[in-house]
Amino acid sequence: MHSPEKRYPSYVAIWAWLMVLLGLSLAFVVLPFSHLAAVVLIFGVAAIKALLIARHYMHLREQPWMIHVIAGVPVLLAIGMALALIPDIALRP
Amino acid sequence: MTATMPATSSEELERLETAPRELAALPVGRAGMWWFLASEVMVFGGLIASYVLSRFAAGGWAAERAHVNARLAAINTVILVTSSLTIVQAHVAAEAKNQQRTRLFLFLTVLLGLAFLGNKGYEYAGEIAHGYTLSAGGFWGFYYAMTGLHGLHVLAGVVVNLALFFAFGGRGWHAIRHRVEYAGLYWHFVDVVWIFLFPLLYLA
Repeated sequence: MHSPEKRYPSYVAIWAWLMVLLGLSLAFVVLPFSHLAAVVLIFGVAAIKALLIARHYMHLREQPWMIHVIAGVPVLLAIGMALALIPDIALRP
Repeated sequence: MTATMPATSSEELERLETAPRELAALPVGRAGMWWFLASEVMVFGGLIASYVLSRFAAGGWAAERAHVNARLAAINTVILVTSSLTIVQAHVAAEAKNQQRTRLFLFLTVLLGLAFLGNKGYEYAGEIAHGYTLSAGGFWGFYYAMTGLHGLHVLAGVVVNLALFFAFGGRGWHAIRHRVEYAGLYWHFVDVVWIFLFPLLYLA
């Protein structure tokens, strides 16, 4: 996967960013945001954390397009399934 | 495609494990692991989607969620994210053919995985002692199903990392060093799942 002269990203720096983002998630719970704003911010931070791990720790950014398709399609299907079922809840009499 | 040859040496085994196939020039082990993770996304994705929709339908489960221990869960998040750092360091060490560092970081990852499970067990014990069992309601059913399934994945990762730790102690470790990368992919995926379970069950 890696040639001997390859430079690795600073994994410790990424870990530190993940810790900062965790702190932010916890802060959003106690700061005076509306519930909806807090939820959006918390899950936005979770998505950033997941992307950091996928791109750097799982080396997704170095992978060919086929790996991106393999990883991305089920994520889209899972999100799509939830979105498709929301009307079943929202439009319930 | 090239003809399949029997593995006669560690070099041949390594060649077979890492040889790119014609399709997208991917090492077959890495492609297989990503396919496996894709199926795992559907397992956890379906469970998470069901939880979100059931929660909307039930009005939010605010009273039930007030009884989970967010402090212990935050500690577990720190533990699991840190274990992602140690397993990626094991991968770097394995690529550099540094046996000692690979074993050290695999061992640290195993310890952190066990710490996560121990902490989760302590959390479960507190909740069960207060009567919040699997059958205590819709929220608790989802809570134990999602965290329990995730915990089983952590346990499986611990077993694999422990097996690699011992495998790297013997001769021929050089030929299987790429397996650390695949074990790492799995472990990071388990971390990513927790990153979404934590806010879903404890924060939002």
